[in-house]
Parts: sequence; structure tokens; C-alpha cells
Amino acid sequence: MIIIDKLCYYSKLRYVNATEKFLFSVLTLTACILSCSIGIAVLVLTVTGILTVYKGKIPLSRYIKLMAVPIVFLFLSTFAIFVNVSKTPLDAFAFSTGSYYITGSVQGLFRGIQLICTALASVSCLYFLSLNTPMTDILNVLRKLHVPALILELMLLIYRYIFVIMHLASDITISQNSRLGNICPSTARKSFAAMASSVFILSIRRSRELYDALEARCYNGTLRVVSEDYPAKISEILSIAAFETLLYLAVIVIRLSGGTL
Amino acid sequence: MTQKQKKQIAAITAFSIAFGICPAANAMHIMEGYLPVTYCVAWGVLCLPFLVTGFMKLKKTLGENRRALTLLAMSGAFIFVISSLKIPSVTGSCSHMTGTGLGAILFGPCSVSILGIIVLIFQAILLAHGGLTSLGANTFSMAIAGPFVSYGVYALCKKCNLNRMLTVFLAASIGDLVTYCVTSVQLALAYPSEAGGVLVSVVKFLGVFAPTQLPLAVVEGLLTTAIVICLESFAKPELKSIGYRKEV
Repeated sequence: MIIIDKLCYYSKLRYVNATEKFLFSVLTLTACILSCSIGIAVLVLTVTGILTVYKGKIPLSRYIKLMAVPIVFLFLSTFAIFVNVSKTPLDAFAFSTGSYYITGSVQGLFRGIQLICTALASVSCLYFLSLNTPMTDILNVLRKLHVPALILELMLLIYRYIFVIMHLASDITISQNSRLGNICPSTARKSFAAMASSVFILSIRRSRELYDALEARCYNGTLRVVSEDYPAKISEILSIAAFETLLYLAVIVIRLSGGTL
Repeated sequence: MTQKQKKQIAAITAFSIAFGICPAANAMHIMEGYLPVTYCVAWGVLCLPFLVTGFMKLKKTLGENRRALTLLAMSGAFIFVISSLKIPSVTGSCSHMTGTGLGAILFGPCSVSILGIIVLIFQAILLAHGGLTSLGANTFSMAIAGPFVSYGVYALCKKCNLNRMLTVFLAASIGDLVTYCVTSVQLALAYPSEAGGVLVSVVKFLGVFAPTQLPLAVVEGLLTTAIVICLESFAKPELKSIGYRKEV
């Protein structure tokens, strides 16, 4: 049902040490937004793209489709950044509408392009993490980072229950569709509300049953799950360290030179 | 056709194609990598007091009643699923609910802040809505500002003895609008306009997102009302178990 979650279990990089992958994507992500430069963005996009598609064997068409998910936001907000309405025209383009100009500056355009590249590169970092690491492994990494146990337990249960509830919701929607429940906007709205409230009632019932089942198995406040650990290979650690060092050196150089690249 | 008319038709076509192909208008999640580092950190720090309060409250509730844990987990999953489902929208395009209003009314704003940040992490990782670097900003707009205002409106309307349906509708849609305004302000603070500064930029961002967000607020209000009415008539014991008191 959730395509990213499905794909990450097929990834060939799934059994690589999760801490490694987590550190790699978070560090690269930080480098991206620290530098905000087109060069770094293209480099990161290529590296994470190659890693995900060639090493992880995620289908390229899927990857491109996933990269297009935030495109509406990107398009709309970048448009808002480089289009201005003012009384004086700026240097890149200007259309006059009465006494005002719809206008933009060269610097603004450049800034917009920079932002699009950075954002896409950052999304590719996020995808590197989420398309190659199952959620349970990410939770294990968070445990090593000393996130409170209560939050982790809540996250584990929520993760599990997302699928249970989605299943309920899709079953109800299918039966509503077969009874023409979504034939026009007003019935669709009614059906959606009916579906949401019955899902709510069912999920509360499920949560009670879950607690009873846990208690019957001597639940005392912590859920213990067997965590599989895949040891990190020295070659992987060295290559990640080398890549990040080079990346951060480049970031420092770009920041010192004024950040125009 | 004159040259001007042709240009107008071209512009309208481009506009309609741009909106026609848009896969789904997400709620206003700021995407990964869109905010500069300083803003990411600043919004994150601003969220901390709310999150710590929420965490303390959560711990206290769980200390009194362990059973609440599975209930809270279910609630979190419920908010996630509701906000990931496509809803029938006025304009015909598909969009998602934010679920902030519903969450605040059902579970109260404090526990929604903790559930909200967990839901946002899952949305970033599993659906690529939002991101890890923009988590702070998104948490502030969707898990803190939206629910708190929603809850405030709800409490205020209840005090004024307004019609029950109107109360829920106002709480949900105003909560949605607040989320949209806060996100616009967040974006504008990070990217002030070259001609006119932050305020002009706020207006620009508000304008650009208005076509998707304004209908969404209305739909969200209608749906939340219908859901709450449904629940109040069919699920009284369940509502009581999550601490929801109906005072009509």
C-alpha cells in the first residue's frame, strides 16, 4: 500500500548496516543545505541516485516518479520566490500591468534555480535512506541515538498500526465503491466521513484487543523485538568517510568563496 | 484572434496543464532541503518547549494508565492514515486532509504535538511529504500552531454555545487555515521578497497556495464535522475511553 515501504524490503542495500546508511544520508543532507550550491547538489543527486538505482536496484522509472512527488510544492513556492510585483521593473524580465510590473531579477532567478537543485538533491538523500532501510532498522538507529524509549515504542506501534488501519480503510472504500458510494462529490464526502468514523471505532476496538493480548503475554511496559544487526564493512566505512570529508571540504571552500557556485 | 487573445489562451492553457498534471495537492508540508540551515534549527528549537510539555503529559498519562499506550498508538496511526488518504475535493483535484483539527478535537492539543511529530517523521520517510531538515518548521505549523488554534476555537465556540456542527466546522477549517498561513510566513521569513521584504513575500506565498488550500480548508471542515457527528452518535463508549467529553 505504501510504495516506499514495499520497495525498501526489495532493496539490495537493505542488509547494509543501518547506522552507516543513516549517517551517510543525514551528513550528505546537511552538506546540501549548508552549501546551497548547484555544484554540490548535482554531485549529491548523482551519487545518491546511482547508489539507489544501481546498487539498491530500485527501478529507475519508480525512482523518477517518486522524485516528482514534491514537485507541486517546489514549482509553486519557487514561482513565488522569483516573481515580484512592484512599481519599478527589475533586470531579468518585466511585464507591465497598469501601473505595476510583474517582474523578477537575475539574482532571484539564480536563487530559484539554486533552491530547486538543493531541494531535489536533499530529497534524493531522503530517498536513499527510505528506499534502502526498513523502518524497523531506522528505529534501531534512533535507539542507539538515545531517543526516549517511550517515543520509540509509540513509533513502533504506530508503524505497525498504520498498515492495519490502511487495510481497514481500503476494504471499506472498496465496498463503498461497489455500492456506488463515490458516484458524486456529495456522496463521496458522506462516504469518506462514514469510512473515517467506522475506521476510528474499529481501530479503538483493535487497540483494546492488542492490549489484552499483550497483557496475556506478560507485558510490563516494554516491547522486546529481536533486532538483526548487520556488521559494517571496513571498506564501506572508509568510502563513506572519504566521500563525506571531500564533500565537507568542498562545502567549506564554497562558503569561504562567497557561495556563488 | 488578436495577438493578445492568443497570449491569454496560451497562458490559461499553461496554467490549467500545470494544475491538471499535479499528482496530488499535499497539505502544506515544506519539502526536504527547502529551508536554510538557520531556519531549520530555529523552528526546531521553538518546537522544543511544546514537545517537552507533551512528552511529560504523555508520561504522566501512561503512568496512571498503561492501557493508554495502545490507544495513543492507534490514534497516531489513525491521524497518519486519514491524512494520507485522498479526499474528494471541490475543485476535482485530489488532496489530503491535514487531520490537525480532528486530532485536536478528539485527543487534545498536547498529545497531538507528540503524535504529530511522529506522524510527520513517518510522512517524510514513507510518503516523502515534508522532510527531515524541515521537520522543525513542519512540526510547528502542523502539530503545534494548527492544533492549538483549532482547540482554542473549539473551546471558545463551545463557551459561546454555538451550534455544535458550526463549532466543529470552524475549529477544523480555521486550524487548517492557520497551518497554511504559518507555513507561508515560515517560507517568507526564509525568502523575503527583493522588492518589499518579508511582508510582500508573505502575501506572495499566501496567494500562490490559495487555490489549493482554501478549498481544502472548507472540505476539511465539512469532513471533520461529518466525522465528529458520526462518532458522537455511534461511538460514545470509544470516545469516553480516549477522554473525550461531550458537552452539548
